[in-house]
Amino acid sequence: MTRLNRDSIVAICLLVACGVFIWATFDIRSPDYGVLMPSTWPRVILAALTLLSLIYLVQSIKAGPDDVSQAPDREPGLAGFVAYWRNPVICFVMFFLYLLTMPVLGMLIGGILFVFMLMNLLGGWQPKQLLLHAVIAVVAVGAMWSMFTFALEVMLPEGVIYNPYAS
Amino acid sequence: MFVDYLAEAFLHFEQALAGLWIWKTMLFMAIGVAGGLIAGAIPGFTIAMAVVLTLPFTFSMPPEQGAATMVSVMVGGLSGGLMAGILTGIPGTPSSVATTFDGFPMARAGNPGLALGLGVWSSFFGGIFSAICLMTLAPQLARVGLEFQPWDFFMLVMFALTITASLAGKHLVKGLIAGALGLLVRTVGEDDAAGMARFDFGTDALLSGFDFIAVLIGLFAFSQLLSDVRDPAKARQSLSDQGRVRARIDHLGALREIRKRWLVVLRSASIGVFTGILPGAGGSVANILAYDQAKKASKEPEKFGTGTPEGIIAPESSNNAVEGGALITLIGLGIPGDVTAAVMLGALLIHDVVPSPSFIADEPVLVYSIFTAFFIATFMMIFFQSFMLRVFVLVTRIRMYMLASVILGFCGIGVFALNNVTFDLWSLLWFGIIGFVMRQFGFPLAPMILGVVLGNIAELNLARALAIDESLTPFFTRPWSLFFLVVALFSAAFPLFQRDRGRKVWTLFYLPFACFGAAVPLYMMGGVPRPVIATLVVLYGAWTLWKRARRGWQLDARDAEAVELKEG
Repeated sequence: MTRLNRDSIVAICLLVACGVFIWATFDIRSPDYGVLMPSTWPRVILAALTLLSLIYLVQSIKAGPDDVSQAPDREPGLAGFVAYWRNPVICFVMFFLYLLTMPVLGMLIGGILFVFMLMNLLGGWQPKQLLLHAVIAVVAVGAMWSMFTFALEVMLPEGVIYNPYAS
Repeated sequence: MFVDYLAEAFLHFEQALAGLWIWKTMLFMAIGVAGGLIAGAIPGFTIAMAVVLTLPFTFSMPPEQGAATMVSVMVGGLSGGLMAGILTGIPGTPSSVATTFDGFPMARAGNPGLALGLGVWSSFFGGIFSAICLMTLAPQLARVGLEFQPWDFFMLVMFALTITASLAGKHLVKGLIAGALGLLVRTVGEDDAAGMARFDFGTDALLSGFDFIAVLIGLFAFSQLLSDVRDPAKARQSLSDQGRVRARIDHLGALREIRKRWLVVLRSASIGVFTGILPGAGGSVANILAYDQAKKASKEPEKFGTGTPEGIIAPESSNNAVEGGALITLIGLGIPGDVTAAVMLGALLIHDVVPSPSFIADEPVLVYSIFTAFFIATFMMIFFQSFMLRVFVLVTRIRMYMLASVILGFCGIGVFALNNVTFDLWSLLWFGIIGFVMRQFGFPLAPMILGVVLGNIAELNLARALAIDESLTPFFTRPWSLFFLVVALFSAAFPLFQRDRGRKVWTLFYLPFACFGAAVPLYMMGGVPRPVIATLVVLYGAWTLWKRARRGWQLDARDAEAVELKEG
C-alpha cells in the first residue's frame, strides 16, 4: 500500500472534525418560531465542508506519496522534526505559559518575562544579549502597558504578585 | 440634482475636515503613517498585520478618529514596502514584489535616490487617484446596493468567498475549505436570531463565541510572526546584512520621469482600483498585473527587469490605488474588498457602526472622514518618506526574533484590551496555531478571514430571505442574485482557466461565455443603462469569439506564459 501523503492526512482530520461538528449540531435546540433553525446554517456549511474535504482527499490520494525533493530541508527522524519546528513550538509553549501564569504574574510582569524569555530562547543566552533583551523587554512592554493603563484607561490584569487583592 | 449632490458632498467634506483637523487626530494620523511606513518596510510584516495591530489602540477613540488612524496606517504600509524592495531587493510586503524587479537593479546601478523617488511619487499619484475614485464611486455603488434584497446580499457573500478562494490559484479546494472554516468559526456561540447556543461543548466561555478581532490577530499576525522566526538562522538575521540601505530621495528627478509617463500611472492606478473592488484581490495581485500590463504596452519590453522607470511606476501606482478600491465596496456595500478592509470593517463594528448600502446616508460625516483621511494620509506619506528612510535604516538593524517577540507581547496586551476578557487571549493562541498550521499546509488565510467577517451577514440574510419566501427560487430568478451566482461560478472556474490558458481549446470560450452569462441578469434588471451595458458586454463576447473563430481556434502560446494571478 502506498503511504498516505500529508494532504491526505489533513483531509482525513478535516473529515473527522466535520463528523464531530455534525454530531454537535444535534445538540442545538430548535425554537418554535422562525424558518431558519439555528442548526440549519451550520449544517449547510458542514455539508459543503465535508464535500470539499472529500474532494481534497480524492485529489491528494490521486497525487500519490509526497515528493521527497519538495519536502522541507530538515534532518530525518524525530530529532530533525523537533529541530525544524523548534522556534514556533517555543513561541506556542511560551505564550501558553504566559497565559497560564497571568492570574499570578499579571500582564506587566508576565509580559516582560514572556518577551525576555522568548528573546533568549530564540536569540541566545550570551551575557551581552541578556542585558539587551532585558532592556528591550522592560522598555517595550512597560511602554505598552503604560499606554493602555494610563492613556487608554484599560484595566489590564494586575496579578496576585503586583496586587495581592487582585481576583 | 447633480449640483445638489455636489453641495451635499461638499458640506459633509467640510464637516469631516473640521472633525479631523484637530491636533490629536493629526498626531494619531502622523504616527499611523510613520508606523505604517516602517511596518510595510519590514519583510514579513504585511500591511494587514500593521492595521490589525493598530486596532486595539483605536478602541477608545471616537469612530472618526479611529478610522482616520487606521486609514493612515494602511496608506503608510502601502508605501513602506517599496523602501525595502528597492534598497535591499527583498520586498517589504507582497504588494511591492514587482517593485523590486526594476527598483533593485536601478538602485544597484547607482540610482537609489531616483528609484525611491519614482516609487514614492508613483505611490502618491496612485493614492490620490484612488481617493478620487473612492469619493466618486462609493456613493454610486451604495445607490446600486440599495436595490439589494436579502437573496442578493447572501449571493454577494458567496461570490466574495468564491473569488477570494479562486485567488489561491491551483489550490482552489483549499481556498474554499478555508472559506467554509471561516463561516463555521463564526457560528460558534449564541445565534443572533434565536439566541440558541451552538457548538459550546458545555463550556460557558464558548457561549459568546470567538471575538472576531482576536481570531483575526491570531490567524493573521500571530501565525505570520511564527512563520517569520521558523528558520533559526534567518530569525537571528537583520535586514541590513542583506544590502545597501543608504540613499537620499531624488524628488525632482522622479517627478520629471513620471511626467513623461503619466499614462502608465493612470493605467496602473486604474488596475489597482479595479483589483481592490474585487473581493479578495489585493495589492499582491495588482502590482504584478500592473507591471505585466506596463511591460506589454511598452515599446522597449526587453528593458524591464534591468531598472526601467516604468517597472517601478506601474506596481507602485497600482498597489496604492488598491485600498481605495477595497474601501469602495466596504463603504458602498458593507463587503470588504480585501483582508485590510476586513480589519477596517472590524474597527467600525467595534464602534457599533455597521457598513451597508445605507452607510453613506446614515453616517455621512464618518464616511467623509474616511475619504478625507485617505487624502491627508497620502500627503503625509510624501512628507514622512524622506524622514522615515533614516528610521528604516535603524529598524533594519533589529533582528527578526526581537521584533517577533516584542510584537507577540503587544498582541497579548492589545487583544485583552478589546473586551477585558482572558478567553480572547486563549482564542488568540488557538487561532495562531490554526493559522500557522494552515499556512504550512498551503491553505490561504484570506478566504477564512473573509468567512469569519462575512459569516454573520450571510446567515442573517439567508434567514431574512427565507422569512420572506420559503422557496429557494428567488436566489436564481432575482437579477442581482443571479448576477452574483454567474460571476461566482466563473470565478470558481478561473484557476482552471489560468492553468489551461494557451494549452487547451476550452479556454478560448471562457471569456465570451462569461460575458454572455453576466449579460443575462443585466438584461433582466430592466431600465435603459443596464440593458445597454449588457448589449456592449454581449458584443464584446461575440467579437472575441468571432476573432478566435477566424484564427481557426488557434491557441496563443503567449497566453501560456501570461502572469498567474494569485493573492500573496
